[in-house]
Amino acid sequence: MSKFQRFLLKRLAISVLLTLVAVSVIFVVLRLLPGSPFEALVTSGNLNQEQIDEIRAMYGLDQSIWKQYINYLGSLLTFQFGYSILRSQPVWEVLEPRLINSLILLVPALVTTAILSSVLGMYAGWNRGSRLEKASIVSTTLLRSTPVFITAIFFIIVFAYNLEIVPALGMRSIRATPDGYLETFVSLDFLHHYLLPFTVAVLYYSGDFLLLARNGVVEKRGSEFLKLHRAKGLTEMEQLARAGRNSMLPILTYFTLRLGMIFQGLILLEVVFSWPGIGRELVLAIQQQDYPLVQAAVFIMALAVIIANLAADVLYAYFDPTVSTNGGGSA
Amino acid sequence: MTLLNVENLKVTYATDDETVHAVNDVSFSIDEGVNYGLAGESGSGKSTVAEALLGLLPGNGTVERGTIEFNGTDLTSLSEAERRDVLWEDIAYIPQSAMDSLDPVMSTGDQIAQAIHTHRNVTDAKARDRVRELFEIVGLDPDRIDNYPHEFSGGMRQRVTIAMALALEPDLIIADEPTTGLDVIVQDKIIDKILEIQERMDSSLLLITHEIGVIAETCDDLSILYGGKVMEQGSVDNVLVNPTNPYTMGLKNSFPEIDENEDPVAIPGSPPNLNREPTACVFEDRCPFATDECGESHPDLVDLPNRNHRSACHRVKEAAQLRRDADEPETWNIPDDGDADSDRGEVILETDALEKHYEQSQPLLSKLRGEDPDYVKAVDGVSLSVRRSEVLGVAGESGCGKSTLGETMALLEDPTGGDFMFDGEPYEYYRDGNLQEFRRKVQIIFQDPFDSLNPRQTVRKLVGEPLTIHDYRTDEKERAIVETLEKVGLTPAEKFLDQYPHELSGGQRQRVAVAKALVLDPDFLICDEPASMLDVSLKVNLLNLLRGLADAEDIGIVYISHDLASLMQVSDRLAIMYLGRVIEEGDVDRIASQPRHPYTSSLLSAAPEKDPTADRTRVLLEGEPPDPVDLPSGCAFAPRCPKAQGSCWEAEPAIDEIGDETHRAACYFPKGEEGLNASDASAVDETKFPESANTDSVGD
Repeated sequence: MSKFQRFLLKRLAISVLLTLVAVSVIFVVLRLLPGSPFEALVTSGNLNQEQIDEIRAMYGLDQSIWKQYINYLGSLLTFQFGYSILRSQPVWEVLEPRLINSLILLVPALVTTAILSSVLGMYAGWNRGSRLEKASIVSTTLLRSTPVFITAIFFIIVFAYNLEIVPALGMRSIRATPDGYLETFVSLDFLHHYLLPFTVAVLYYSGDFLLLARNGVVEKRGSEFLKLHRAKGLTEMEQLARAGRNSMLPILTYFTLRLGMIFQGLILLEVVFSWPGIGRELVLAIQQQDYPLVQAAVFIMALAVIIANLAADVLYAYFDPTVSTNGGGSA
Repeated sequence: MTLLNVENLKVTYATDDETVHAVNDVSFSIDEGVNYGLAGESGSGKSTVAEALLGLLPGNGTVERGTIEFNGTDLTSLSEAERRDVLWEDIAYIPQSAMDSLDPVMSTGDQIAQAIHTHRNVTDAKARDRVRELFEIVGLDPDRIDNYPHEFSGGMRQRVTIAMALALEPDLIIADEPTTGLDVIVQDKIIDKILEIQERMDSSLLLITHEIGVIAETCDDLSILYGGKVMEQGSVDNVLVNPTNPYTMGLKNSFPEIDENEDPVAIPGSPPNLNREPTACVFEDRCPFATDECGESHPDLVDLPNRNHRSACHRVKEAAQLRRDADEPETWNIPDDGDADSDRGEVILETDALEKHYEQSQPLLSKLRGEDPDYVKAVDGVSLSVRRSEVLGVAGESGCGKSTLGETMALLEDPTGGDFMFDGEPYEYYRDGNLQEFRRKVQIIFQDPFDSLNPRQTVRKLVGEPLTIHDYRTDEKERAIVETLEKVGLTPAEKFLDQYPHELSGGQRQRVAVAKALVLDPDFLICDEPASMLDVSLKVNLLNLLRGLADAEDIGIVYISHDLASLMQVSDRLAIMYLGRVIEEGDVDRIASQPRHPYTSSLLSAAPEKDPTADRTRVLLEGEPPDPVDLPSGCAFAPRCPKAQGSCWEAEPAIDEIGDETHRAACYFPKGEEGLNASDASAVDETKFPESANTDSVGD
């Protein structure tokens, strides 16, 4: 077994353990919350005790907490998330479309901004003190520190109401009745609705990448190896590429971290644009104490973050030979 | 034919509030196939010259005037793109710090291939073949071209940069301090390699270094720079043998050498402030021979009759007289305290088979199986003793465990085996409850004077801090601080009290670091390479200071360094370490004149000589020190030892294998007794060794 395989195996084991911890925490915390999903039904007085017991039994909530926990773990392992109490629908049927909606908006936005802002940041760092550098820092910091709903509303006012270029709300026009994902997403109407939230998301994430990339390059700029590259006769842009390549690690870390967190959606953005994403759904589910739905959603989020971290570790090994294996090179 | 001709080069750096005149009207020329040396202390502008030649000046540096003519074209007038074509194709560069001048995330082979691809239109396969060839030329394993820089040691990385410089067979190679930061043995190997290759390729070399010994051995011509001015110029034989400039004399005298009985003489003072155009001679304020004329103008370079030698000094005609005077310390206003042999006091620190092993992390599975983890034996059974008023030098290559030994002695690391006694008490006594007392009595001075001082504290605070911590002389704190500062030569002390580290020069900072250690009146001082970052003249100052402290203050000092020459100057006794063990120990004079262990003699022979006429036989050690985790059985040095025989591989020789109390070594076949084992029996009673032929034998 090579050193790298061992390293990978170790990482995997840690990830599995982390997932277990995460789902257990979700399980306990939800049950520590006061009240139950049927509180509303009970207080309205429409149900008698017998009926309540029956419903509780139906959802398995009459069993001991340990039994529930074991069932819960078993279901997660087989990816059976159960029925949503709120919607009386299989959880996955509720979650899946919303998750897809969120991802289709945020993943391209994140990738776009990671590439564009990093390149811009590197260029700005290389030309330290230039007007471009100052302007880019100020504008991205501004975008980053303004709450996303303010930016979003501002964009809606300008582009949707005043200029009337794009629609303000929703993912498809109200009259559209698409069938299946392909029909939903591959259409001009979708693109029309997509542009504005996509732009806002790109801008929202841009600041972090830009600053990370800029700082990395600024730090590397005076280093000895760049001097040697320069002495070799590399052009300015080739040198910048090497400096950028050497400051990839923090960007990579941040990118994977963000990628994992995308699975919770960008709640404020989704609310402002009425985007049927997972963030909105989750807030609603927590409010209503829809155990199965929340558990499943949180499980998916935790899993996403953990997998993203695992990916970061593996990518590290690829991008930085010095960290590939527990440090220390083999001769 | 002249390859490179630099004419009246002037380079300035723009800083926030002033202009630094780093290089002031420097002229020199390099002929084809010639090795040219550029020597000077830090701040002399020698690296700036190199950067100007290569067009690598940082953004705030500008070439104000002057021409750099290379092969008939003026480099300063080239456009960015034209210059890129010249770089590497015609002028290659070996950078200063091998440790971080290679791109860490690019394989070494790719980095060399990149240089080839940038200038030549060749296929990948061809470039790779060339890289393999280059690796072979510089003595690296061609199968390692896909390794990354971190997989190579410092010396090997420097070989990679040399291979890179050779890639396109340039006409001129500029090497900027190529060996600084490497230890003597590696340095010697690298220089040997550069010379060997350069001879074969018939290119010119511009070698920039502060070690005039390196220049003396490798170069034909040289320029000595000071304060951005050429002080003296000419053929190495003339300039270094018969210097005509007081600065060269001072520089030469302060360069410590192993087989020299005279103490080196330091140049007092510090390098000039270059924030305005020099009007007087740049060396005037440190020069003992300065006259009124020197204060009026900087002297022009004067051709000395009938030889390739120029000097910039108003009193160049009196050179012979100055040279005689310059050898005397009194001339430089340094009190000659004589070589009064101080009485060594009682033993203050004694180690007995001291060990510091670091456990290696091991896989969980082997841990569960209860396998013994691997250990890095950084310090492995070291028995030494230090007396009061005695300086014990600890020497060895990097990675031999000498710094760990120092840290263990200071109880910064817990010993994992063995014992040591300090001031009559075992270390456990101090570790368990009396650490505060120990910390007051034992002080350690670290390598880097730039990092070891808190930049936000004034000298008063820095030096006073230990007093507060240990509640020592708190009622007369100010007096204690002033006294100590004066003791380390920072006079008048009041002037320094409110200064911050960044306002001090390197030498002054290291003195503050020493003062910080001395303010508590310690009994024992551990110095871990305190002078390695300092220029020669400052280094000698520090060595003399420590020597004086040992004599006057009755403290014991352990001086750890890889620089044998300075160890020879400061120490009474010397311990040579190799892979965690002391392999030779004894009085300095005896080790210098008659090294017994083959490792010691190779260390001694690796140090360069400042006299260009002296011939030195290189003893190049094969390979690198073995992996300290997986040591061979028997003598640890056997794999590299030229004299190793069967018995060396079987059992490890103990330190008292040969010799007596004052000089012992761990070797079965020590030098000087080799006749006994050699086939020709005629040398049995040989008492005079060829190695010691040119040293004065020391009476004992």
